[in-house]
Amino acid sequence: MNTDPDVVRDLFASHYFLFAFLASLGTLQFVVSNSGTRGLWLTPYAVMTRWLGVGLIIVAIALFFLQPLWVDGPWAAGSVEADSLTREWGKASWDELAGARNVNDIDGGLDGVKQAIWFSLAAISAFAVSAIFGTLSVKINVIGEQRSADVLQPENADGLAGLANRSYLSNLPDSFRNFKSDIGGVWRNGINDAEGWSVMKMIFGKSSK
Amino acid sequence: MNSIDADIVIWLNGLSGNVKVFDDFIRITASDYLMPLVFSLAMLGLWFSGKTPAERVRYQLTMLMGISALSIANFVVWLINISWDRPRPFIEHADQLNLLFYSPTDPSFPANPVAVGFAAATAAWSINRKFGLCMYAAATLFGFSRLYAGVFYPTDIVGGAIVGIVIYGFTTYLRRFLEPLVTGFVRLIRGLSAA
Repeated sequence: MNTDPDVVRDLFASHYFLFAFLASLGTLQFVVSNSGTRGLWLTPYAVMTRWLGVGLIIVAIALFFLQPLWVDGPWAAGSVEADSLTREWGKASWDELAGARNVNDIDGGLDGVKQAIWFSLAAISAFAVSAIFGTLSVKINVIGEQRSADVLQPENADGLAGLANRSYLSNLPDSFRNFKSDIGGVWRNGINDAEGWSVMKMIFGKSSK
Repeated sequence: MNSIDADIVIWLNGLSGNVKVFDDFIRITASDYLMPLVFSLAMLGLWFSGKTPAERVRYQLTMLMGISALSIANFVVWLINISWDRPRPFIEHADQLNLLFYSPTDPSFPANPVAVGFAAATAAWSINRKFGLCMYAAATLFGFSRLYAGVFYPTDIVGGAIVGIVIYGFTTYLRRFLEPLVTGFVRLIRGLSAA
């Protein structure tokens, strides 16, 4: 590679984050539109949200693999077929586009650990964006249906179930309050139900009784 | 004389160069980025996809096991790699192969990407048979593309698939050592309105 691997790695990281973010957002929208979790919908309508999700996934993949056509990187025309060690910096040609992203991690590609870190950040960002837009979707749904969110909300619903008709911020206090009141019982029941050789049961078994 | 293993990869890789569109498709599916992201998105999707709270908890516990299995599978592949440094096919048969991918520097056996793919697919299969089969197909395509590209032998792919499936089974067994910590963790995420 005729370029500093760290420069290549930074470029790959920014491209991969955008790829993972758009694809995660699309997947999230597709799934929550099916499960009716309105508090995470980007639009107020299920069908629109579902198709938006599919569209975002397609855009994410297309953008990531087409980017070498207009962004300079270690994929200059004429150098892609060669090993990633001998590549030149520049824009890819259509003929070499498919192999442009195949760069070894020692030459600046992203290894598995870095991909896992960037994917986690992208998925959390996608969830945050969904929660922000979901607030608007819930408000529009409630106004449109002329019903109160409290009426729609099943009793004691929290977590994702609570997001069916409530925004993230209005659902969070109830979810966390339920967590605080439940966790002791969950822990005690778990210790009681755990098998004899559970490490947790060995450590905390007596103190939980 | 070549082994059957080498004969298969040489024959399969010999088909490259005839249909450019197919070679390009292989280059993209063999990429380090596409299929691993597909596996990660499948995990993310299943986390949010249950329709009832009980179903969600079951999916989420399984997804946690799947994610743990990916990490453990990577570790096991590394352990095997340091005990047996099998050369890559494009090194042993450089004059007979047309490499469609970059030259990886780590050992050939077992195929790490396939191990990761099969661990994720087994997790998905344990909660939804149809979706799990699609994931197995994606993991198999990932392995096939690396084989066609001249990067792995067929036994590396089979070895990787076995490692992935066995490690997922082992991880679900390991979970019992750690209960109720795992269930408590899912309960915490639910407290943060994300489960």
